[in-house]
Amino acid sequence: MPDRSFAPTRILIYLAVFLIAAAWLAPLVVVVLNSLRTNEEIAQGSMIGWPQHLSWSNYAAAWSGFCVAETCAGIRPYMLNSALVTIPATIFSTLLGAIAGYAVSLWRFRGDNWIYGIVTLGLFLPQQMRLLPWTIVLRDIGLINTLTGLVLIHTIQGLSFTTLFCRNYYVAIPHELIRAARIDGAGFFRIFWRIILPLSGPILIVTVIWQFTHIWNEFLYGVTFTTGQQQPVTAALIALSAAVADIPQHGVQSAAVIIAALPTLLIYLLGGKYFVRGLTAGAVK
Amino acid sequence: MPITTTRRRLLAGSAAALAFPHLARAQGAAKPRLTAISQWSAGSDGAAITALGKKFEEKGGVWQHSPVPGFTTEMMNKLRAQIMAGDPPACSQLKGPEIAAWSKIAPTVNLDALVAAAGYEKVVAPDLAKLHKPGGKWIALPLQIYSTNMLFLSKRAMDKAKADKVPVTWADFNDLAEKMKAGGVASPIANGGTRPDDGQKFEAALAGISPLAYRAAIMNLEKKALEGPEIKAAFAQVRKIADWMDPNVGAQHFSTNLKRFIDGDMGMMIMGGWAQGVLRNAGFKLEDFMIAPGPSDNGKPVFLLNADAFIFWQRKEADLQAGQTLMAQLVMDPAIQTMYSQITGSIPVRTDVDLSGEGWSEGQRTTSKALKEAIASNQAVLSMAHNMAQENGMTAAMIDVITEYVKNKTIKPEQAATRLAEAVEGAR
Repeated sequence: MPDRSFAPTRILIYLAVFLIAAAWLAPLVVVVLNSLRTNEEIAQGSMIGWPQHLSWSNYAAAWSGFCVAETCAGIRPYMLNSALVTIPATIFSTLLGAIAGYAVSLWRFRGDNWIYGIVTLGLFLPQQMRLLPWTIVLRDIGLINTLTGLVLIHTIQGLSFTTLFCRNYYVAIPHELIRAARIDGAGFFRIFWRIILPLSGPILIVTVIWQFTHIWNEFLYGVTFTTGQQQPVTAALIALSAAVADIPQHGVQSAAVIIAALPTLLIYLLGGKYFVRGLTAGAVK
Repeated sequence: MPITTTRRRLLAGSAAALAFPHLARAQGAAKPRLTAISQWSAGSDGAAITALGKKFEEKGGVWQHSPVPGFTTEMMNKLRAQIMAGDPPACSQLKGPEIAAWSKIAPTVNLDALVAAAGYEKVVAPDLAKLHKPGGKWIALPLQIYSTNMLFLSKRAMDKAKADKVPVTWADFNDLAEKMKAGGVASPIANGGTRPDDGQKFEAALAGISPLAYRAAIMNLEKKALEGPEIKAAFAQVRKIADWMDPNVGAQHFSTNLKRFIDGDMGMMIMGGWAQGVLRNAGFKLEDFMIAPGPSDNGKPVFLLNADAFIFWQRKEADLQAGQTLMAQLVMDPAIQTMYSQITGSIPVRTDVDLSGEGWSEGQRTTSKALKEAIASNQAVLSMAHNMAQENGMTAAMIDVITEYVKNKTIKPEQAATRLAEAVEGAR
């Protein structure tokens, strides 16, 4: 094979990729730089600039210092709240989505496509439209202003996406496999557990990344259905940025944003290489 | 004997433990308690509401405030959810015409007796009072006031323009802007790019040209006034302002440009009184800028009111009702309003508070004086840009037209006036 590493088209491709990446990363660079500058330094100068001296105090303030009204505990307790919602909701919605996707793709029954269609309709409903129905549901089952209520919301809302992902992945699995297993006497759940789940690695990683990121970043339900100390991290971030009579706390904000983004970033780093692979696995048949 | 002592202590301890909840319950029945929601969480807003909570506790109350971080929409979502769940907060932050709108959704508390006892009504600007008593009864109490049309002048830009007089009318203002431009000030107008920014410029222009037309067109939505010459004149003034602004602001907060404003690279800023708190917190010196009431063509100050308030929701619980009474008394108390405004940089709602003493800034004194004069000449009007004149939907429709006009310089003032009238019709 000829060595193409210095071919003009290669260089062009790398140049384009480099430029796009630079444009894409520029905001992150600004945020990282601002997280090391004091508020006064940013206010007296410009939003964009090198730190005059590294000030790590923003991170301390963001983690455990800044006040949300009467509570001065930084972002820490809110990170915990978000984790308490995100982790169970991600697990439940992924598992249920896998079972649902498995049922509609490999266990054909009357109306399966209809059911699949109705479940995925959830993708097209704007969040705001579902806010009042959820209020009524949570009120009636007594889960308003609880983290359990949020777990329920995100588990159910997540089903649309997780079912879609898993169903598209499972349709590529040969039906003969299922038939053979049934002849051997395996039932619905045994086939799922013994045959389907072991094949599902890539798609489960995709749905976990997807669900985790979405639930972690969610704000509207988080702020509406919790109160005070139970609020998720997104609410704490907004609390930092929505003061009227104050100079925006760009330094602390930047540090808090970086800290709050770490869990999702970590999930991507761990599972990122499967992400595209899993997404395209269902599409290319 | 050590063992006996321990046992005795234990016994005493358990007796106390048994008695204590009973005791606490007995006290709890009389103890005022307040559940409150507000969007005040960060910075001086958060500090002020926290200080208010402390005062509430000092008076023997139990303060249960849940901040709803974000903007008005988030807080309204939360309020709606709480009302639907049958658990409205004893009191919540709400302002402007939304008070009337929301009072139709759930029963509110009639505060007439408390307001009368405090003699509050005669010290509140009449237009403001009206907002808090839809249907003739006080159901909400204003807490603090900001003016949305204060004029901030950069000392260095004034030096560049060789000017020392504060502009009074729009003609003076335009004259000064021209001089600044000629003197080398890159953008005579300092501005941000958020939605209320453009709205504030328009409302300052119209109310400064004619407070009467502002009242008729924007507050009362009279068709004739909306098509009147003052609207066109206001748009023409906004175009001038837009031409003097730095267009490269995107959706940035106005504070992004404060450095350029102080350096004299930008000259004048039409902004709410809160900007002085922002300038102070950003570490700029008071002698680097001046504050004056926004331009007014009849020479008397025009005051565009923005006021924060609490609405009180009906609760059956005796402790919450006691809490509401205590909260209402605190909110109307001049000492509490003084404490609150000194933290946030606003001015008290009560026009009888003396601002000459310690703890007030020159800007606050100017603002307070402007309010008194504006009330005397019936020129204290309600801000459109900050949702005081109309409900959210109507305000949004108006600001859409104004923002497009500010950004798109091919639109003529006449066209903009027509569009505004149409937008109002559409949103009615």
